Amino acid sequence: MESGRCLLVPILIALIILCLATLSSFLVGAGDVTPSRALAALFGAADEEAHFVVFELRMVRTLLGVTVGIALGAAGSLLQAATRNPLAEPGLLGVSAGASFAVVVAISLGSSAAGLHIWVAVAGALGGCLLVLLVSQVRGVGDDPVRLVLAGAAFSSMLMAMTTLLLLFDQRTADEIRFWIIGALGGRSAEILSWTAPMILCSLIVMLVLVRPLASLALGEKIATGLGHNPRLTRLLTLIVVAFLVGAATAAAGPIAFIGLIVPFAARALVGTDIRRVLWMAVLLGPSLVLVADVLSRLAVRPYELPIGVITAIIGAPVLVAVVRSQRMPSL
Amino acid sequence: MSFNLGSKASCSPSVLHDFYRWHWRDYSFLILKRGLWSAVGLWLCLLMLTGLSLSSGSQSLTPLQALLAAFGVGEPMNVFLVQELRLQRLVAGLLTGFAFGISGCLLQTLAHNRLATPGIIGIDDGATAFAVASIVAVPTSLAPPMLALGGAATAAALSFGLSGGSGARGYRFIVVGIGVGALFGALTNLMLARTDIDSANAAYPWTVGSLNARTDGPIWALAVGIMVCLPLMGYLARQLNTLRFSEAVACGLGVHLKRSRMLTLIVAVLLTALAVAVAGPVGLIALVAPELARYLNSYKSVPLINAGLVGAITMVATDLVGRTALSPIEIPVGVITAVVGGPYLLWILLRPDRR
Repeated sequence: MESGRCLLVPILIALIILCLATLSSFLVGAGDVTPSRALAALFGAADEEAHFVVFELRMVRTLLGVTVGIALGAAGSLLQAATRNPLAEPGLLGVSAGASFAVVVAISLGSSAAGLHIWVAVAGALGGCLLVLLVSQVRGVGDDPVRLVLAGAAFSSMLMAMTTLLLLFDQRTADEIRFWIIGALGGRSAEILSWTAPMILCSLIVMLVLVRPLASLALGEKIATGLGHNPRLTRLLTLIVVAFLVGAATAAAGPIAFIGLIVPFAARALVGTDIRRVLWMAVLLGPSLVLVADVLSRLAVRPYELPIGVITAIIGAPVLVAVVRSQRMPSL
Repeated sequence: MSFNLGSKASCSPSVLHDFYRWHWRDYSFLILKRGLWSAVGLWLCLLMLTGLSLSSGSQSLTPLQALLAAFGVGEPMNVFLVQELRLQRLVAGLLTGFAFGISGCLLQTLAHNRLATPGIIGIDDGATAFAVASIVAVPTSLAPPMLALGGAATAAALSFGLSGGSGARGYRFIVVGIGVGALFGALTNLMLARTDIDSANAAYPWTVGSLNARTDGPIWALAVGIMVCLPLMGYLARQLNTLRFSEAVACGLGVHLKRSRMLTLIVAVLLTALAVAVAGPVGLIALVAPELARYLNSYKSVPLINAGLVGAITMVATDLVGRTALSPIEIPVGVITAVVGGPYLLWILLRPDRR
């Protein structure tokens, strides 16, 4: 292990990026409130409209982006460590798709309570995680990162089609879901934040307990067992934590793919493959990425807004190709 | 598999047992029994489906009525119904299914991987993105096929180029394709979000995959494309038959590797693009049809035409189910194939007896 000193510089860089991203999320938007007006409002100028936009709309949005980013970045890192697969990503493996399908079913059955949605989404994500676990236990598939991703893609496309099918029957639900299903941070109520934030916080605390066993899992199952850990139990617990993180994030912002792929990839590039370091970085880089993507989604097609999933896909697809092409891939 | 037709002695009896052998003076002619019967079965199946598809719908006719009406005989109402509405849809289904089946078979053979189909490696998404762009920017009826062609070619070039060339690259090639597909999917969403609601509505069918409300232009383009590709496919089938052993064997047997690869890719991209321009992305037909065709053929050749036939059957049958099962609601073909195809894809990946 390298000394802790090397970690300081990357963490500082990540912190600076996060601050800049948060600031830009407050200042930039699709509407009439320009950055200078927003800045003035932040420092207490009497501008009713700018004050409302910055403190009511963009504040909720930014906080939501931070929580969702933390959850997705951490979930991606955990999932990659647990499956020892650098391509494992909640969006690619069908965990997000499971969560969003569950929510769509709940909405079409007439539920509209934010709290309920979260539990439903967690249940759906848990289903997706269980499938991942099942698939990676099948002989030969667990060792092959790429086949695992394919299985996830198959699962996701099936769930997406079933969602479409559901929407065909029910125009009212279709209207309600249309904006949610593509994944966006705008237009969410503050109420949902009061549900997701505690859940994500609890998951992160549980995650701290899991870090050590996960780090030993990286040395291989035999060594991990020799060190006194139970790899199966570690995997199972990790997947449950991932389900809670992804479920909460999906219930809050809809399915946003590729965050869990890009963030650990960037974190590994900055601080190496040790899961303890990767997680620290992921918790910082995740929110930055989500906020930057969100700001871009506000600017790309002004005066309209773009779903954030589009931006993350455009950033994420090249990363996916890069990971697949990199020589080190099978070993993690 | 040696095909020494001249002397009976050099053929092992067990091989000959699988063939019908016809003589005519000094020439003899071997036909694979199972291949022949499966082809006959497929044609019969197709014929039956045609009748069913023409006769069922919001107003059902007897198959005879429908058949007569297709030739302009019978009540004017029925003639209108069949000739104007159902016939076009049927033709669109047959042609797109045929094209998807064949292009799937070509790409699977080329990449030595049964998962390498146009839908999975992003060619469908590329064609869709460009077709949507043409609706949003240049709303004419013939623009979608042309632009879809450009999109499909771009996506194919990206997938093959980024994964480091074709050939046996395992699953890496496919994940690169998934990435490329995601990129084009995002671009499609971007364009749909950007335009006004009318253009978005006009472009929406392209993103689902359905045979509903098609114009004639793309269908004609697809028909012409298939006619152009058929002779090429006859040539390619021979080359691919040897190419599926290994590159060394194929080279030794006189296959021009680079040229036949390029041609295969071009034909597959052309057919996919034109089919997407008609029906939108119905990717899973291309996955299922060649597999079924291979099963029917038993001899491990490359069953191009049978794959096309199975594709056409699957497409028309799925469309029939989609518009009759829950009428008056119509389920797009793409949705049904995705729901059915997901588990099938999982099964291919997970079954233990993989080669």
